[in-house]
Amino acid sequence: MTTGLVTLKINGREVTVREGTLILDAAKEAGFDIPTFCYQANLSGLGSCRMCLVEIEGQRKLQPSCITPVMPDMNVFTETDTVKMTRSAMLEFLLSNHPLDCPVCDKGGECELQDLVYKHGPRKGRFAEDKVRHHDKDYILSPVIVKNANRCVQCMRCVRVCKEVVGRGVLGAVGRGVHQEETSFLRTRLDCDHCGMCIEVCPVGSFMRLPYRYRARPWDLVSARSVCGYCATGCRLTLERRGDTVVRAIANPEDGFNRKLLCARGRFGYDVMNSEERIKTPLVKERDGSFRPVSWDRALELMKEAILRAGPERAAGVASATLTNEELYLFQKFMRKVVGTANMDSTSRWSAESSLKFMEAAGIRGGGTSVYQCAESDVVVVLGGQLSEENPVTDYILRYINGARRNTLVIASPRGMKLDSSAQLSVRTVPATTGAFIAALLKALVEKKEVSMEGMEAVKGLTVEELSGVCGVNADDIRWIAARLLTAGSVGVLAGTDMLRYDDGAEELALLVRLLENTVRDVRVLPLLDRANQRGAWDMGVHPYLEPGYRPAQRRGHDVHGIVELADSGGLGFLYLLGEDVLGLYPDRAGVERALSRVGFLVVQDSFMTGSAPMANLVLPMAMYGEKHGTMTNQEGRVQRMEAVRRPEGEVRTPLETIGRAGNLIEKDFPVVRPGDVWKEIQKQVPGYGEVRGMEAFKGASADQVAELKPSFSYAVPERAEGEFWLLTGNHLFHGARLSQHSGILRELLGGCVVEIGSTAAQRLGVGEGDMVEVEARGYRERLPVRIREGTPDGVAFMPENFDGKDANRFFDKDRVVSTVRIRPYKKQGE
Amino acid sequence: MKEKKREGVLDILKKVLFVDILKGLSVTLKYNVSRSVTVRYPDEEKWIPYQRFRGAHTLNRDEEGRELCVACELCVKACPTGCITVVPQEDDTGRGIADRVPKIWKVDLVRCLFCGYCEDACPTTAVRLGRDYELACFNRTDAVRDRERLLRPQEVPEGFEGGMVVSARFERTKEGIRVKPDIWKPRDKDWWKKV
Ligand code: SF4
Ligand code: SF4
Ligand code: SF4
Ligand code: SF4
Ligand code: SF4
Ligand code: FES
Repeated sequence: MTTGLVTLKINGREVTVREGTLILDAAKEAGFDIPTFCYQANLSGLGSCRMCLVEIEGQRKLQPSCITPVMPDMNVFTETDTVKMTRSAMLEFLLSNHPLDCPVCDKGGECELQDLVYKHGPRKGRFAEDKVRHHDKDYILSPVIVKNANRCVQCMRCVRVCKEVVGRGVLGAVGRGVHQEETSFLRTRLDCDHCGMCIEVCPVGSFMRLPYRYRARPWDLVSARSVCGYCATGCRLTLERRGDTVVRAIANPEDGFNRKLLCARGRFGYDVMNSEERIKTPLVKERDGSFRPVSWDRALELMKEAILRAGPERAAGVASATLTNEELYLFQKFMRKVVGTANMDSTSRWSAESSLKFMEAAGIRGGGTSVYQCAESDVVVVLGGQLSEENPVTDYILRYINGARRNTLVIASPRGMKLDSSAQLSVRTVPATTGAFIAALLKALVEKKEVSMEGMEAVKGLTVEELSGVCGVNADDIRWIAARLLTAGSVGVLAGTDMLRYDDGAEELALLVRLLENTVRDVRVLPLLDRANQRGAWDMGVHPYLEPGYRPAQRRGHDVHGIVELADSGGLGFLYLLGEDVLGLYPDRAGVERALSRVGFLVVQDSFMTGSAPMANLVLPMAMYGEKHGTMTNQEGRVQRMEAVRRPEGEVRTPLETIGRAGNLIEKDFPVVRPGDVWKEIQKQVPGYGEVRGMEAFKGASADQVAELKPSFSYAVPERAEGEFWLLTGNHLFHGARLSQHSGILRELLGGCVVEIGSTAAQRLGVGEGDMVEVEARGYRERLPVRIREGTPDGVAFMPENFDGKDANRFFDKDRVVSTVRIRPYKKQGE
Repeated sequence: MKEKKREGVLDILKKVLFVDILKGLSVTLKYNVSRSVTVRYPDEEKWIPYQRFRGAHTLNRDEEGRELCVACELCVKACPTGCITVVPQEDDTGRGIADRVPKIWKVDLVRCLFCGYCEDACPTTAVRLGRDYELACFNRTDAVRDRERLLRPQEVPEGFEGGMVVSARFERTKEGIRVKPDIWKPRDKDWWKKV
């Protein structure tokens, strides 16, 4: 696409902008602000509110600048008397039907209508007629949305955002003219993503947050720029508190790559901070199994004794990949320098080998890749995961860019997802066969175009049909994708966590990327990760084989599997679980439970009593996001700084302080530090971080190769008996990691744990949405309500990994590639 | 020379006849026979200020007894000393004129400078500075008046014109010493005229 430049005059000032730019944006560039209502960047143009009218020389009528592109030599005026009078008249017209109940309205103080009337509006209204009232009482649309249609200015931003960005399209305009009302069908309760985007974009107080209702005024709030801790999309958000209570999280359109976008977890999961269930003091386990509060001094003394007693070979630690870079860096330094061991990991769910391969294939150790660049590629391929639930805002970005640019979006995943509706082609792979799928794609590519490349010889011997038989994708579909890839000018590949979980497809992905680089040239890979700082954890060297900056470790330690095995054999004297709930997440619950009970001294530091915490000898409270400073690295490699909105309460401490003090207790020269000090050390020690400046920047690349990738090209369909289901797990749309189950708002949205199956499976079982079924495997049974997901094939079931008491990992067998369960309808007795 | 002599004589005459003393005494004596201007506060009488007076705050209700305050926090914003605290809550039981009502509404009279900005800012005329000016207390925290206290009608209703002395009673109550006026028994309607 050629993008020429256009020069025009705005209020006499000359500006040069790209072809196709809207007058509105050009004026902004020239320094003139034009008021708007219905305009919103990243939504389709509407031009209905007429706030943005401008005068263009040679045109008799005023023109809406939000949908009129610039033309060469245009002469635009934004501040003439006619324009000003029209603005004022438009506002007077809006106010003629506006209830003007600002004192009661939650939007008061940050309302676009208030601001515009104050700036451009008439000082007096002339309409004396009765105002239209849709209803007398505000009505509740969802557990997070409350609606007052009387205040609506008919800008349709809510309707458009829900359809074009979120992809739900559950809102519509009912009625016409002054009787128009933007709401759900028949004003019924919404069953939607509860993302709150409609609230965020509404310029007035028509869509409002229910949890924030009548809690504060915008000027009461103290705010801090933070980063969402629920997934690795890493959305920037602003946390706001009144007094000591955090009352809302908002996305500031001016701040952060996600602009206004947040999902339900980010926007409504902030209330975990206020939860009463938080651990408030250090607790030590008594002989009778109960916990007794102790002082920090005593707790750290106990920890020191245990570390010294265990010795380096018999010690280990697992840190959560949701902590800050500073905390993770200090954690590995503490483990390596003070405890003297490399037995550590930043996950409970996959092996060190599988993560090495993924790092290499997905370019994790490289510099950053912007999600926008990836999404704007001519062909975008989403692989191995359930993007719409794992990384909701990445899903929104892909959807609206795809809607605007009409590029080719291809999805290959085992489960159906919301993004399917935007995809040109969406195929379902058998779980854990991403490798076979990519191999089939490779073969289809070389069928169409001769490439001589190292590593491709083995591909020649394969057949697309055979491989498509393994991954369950139609061979014609694979050839269609290959054809698209070959004609594309740029390709973006988004690689999900299935590849990590099942140690599957990384080798093939690396080969595919190299092949495309040879043909297409512009290829970008974006890893899709589910823990907020997984990439940072790897960068910081919380890995048994890697030191900070991907330098190979001098001495390798055990990964989480090794640690669990060591513990099981009674060989672990000290285990430090920092924010990571191994018991709740390790894919073999019975095994890990036995192993943890055999650890000499188990220290769990967490914000809540997780599954593992009751087994600990020592439980330490932990500050969470919003209570600490630091940096996080999201899946794109974007390093973002976050600030504390308030201090941790009472005896709650940050991991940084805990580790610093514990380390200092054992070794005198281990410093007790502040986040800034650690950051300086990171900049010196970790390649790629030295150049990072300011609140947000991409990290650089590091040189070391972490894994040799050689695909074996031998594939098999994971075992499954007739009628059984492969059980997949991961984040739920309303639950990311294990933290969110303590958020009252998110808990209300979800209602509890569910099991998700496709509609054909539901038909076969004779169950409907919400009906109870019994999930059974390995001697465990669980009764759960069914959620039906369109597009998921029969034989695939999903259970979120986040629920204490309904732990999906009970059904997992770590020796099998994909575990299977039996599901049958549950009938109450007597039915 | 001559004039000076005459002044000296007059002076002596004045002194002999106690002229200045009598002049002074005449003022005193006039007050002795005229009506008294002293207000017997706090035992019998009390001055009720004019309507424009700015004393302690009061929160008003409408004719149906619903609270007028909608907890908009505008008074808080307007207050130059930051002595008002308002925390809103939702309540659609009809307690207030809207479903937004104050959960907390309190003012710290020690900090207040009685500027009246709060009543100016109030969109519903819920908060008014009343005519209660007896603010002395033993404990500073007693100077913080909360919603319940402020909602209790003050002794002088807003409609009462004031600017007069009325009979009053001195009382010791749990909340401290009070001088309770009886506005229906005016003692002196034109007190200023006498001064
Ligand atoms: S919360 Fe999100 S999904 Fe639900 S109606 Fe609003 S924009 Fe649509
Ligand atoms: S509800 Fe809000 S966003 Fe939707 S049309 Fe009305 S004013 Fe616009
Ligand atoms: S959970 Fe992920 S997508 Fe949602 S707001 Fe947080 S970082 Fe963004
Ligand atoms: S009178 Fe003035 S200082 Fe006193 S509460 Fe009202 S605004 Fe504040
Ligand atoms: S007293 Fe008036 S200004 Fe103050 S919160 Fe109540 S309604 Fe608002
Ligand atoms: S902003 Fe241009 S018409 Fe609404």
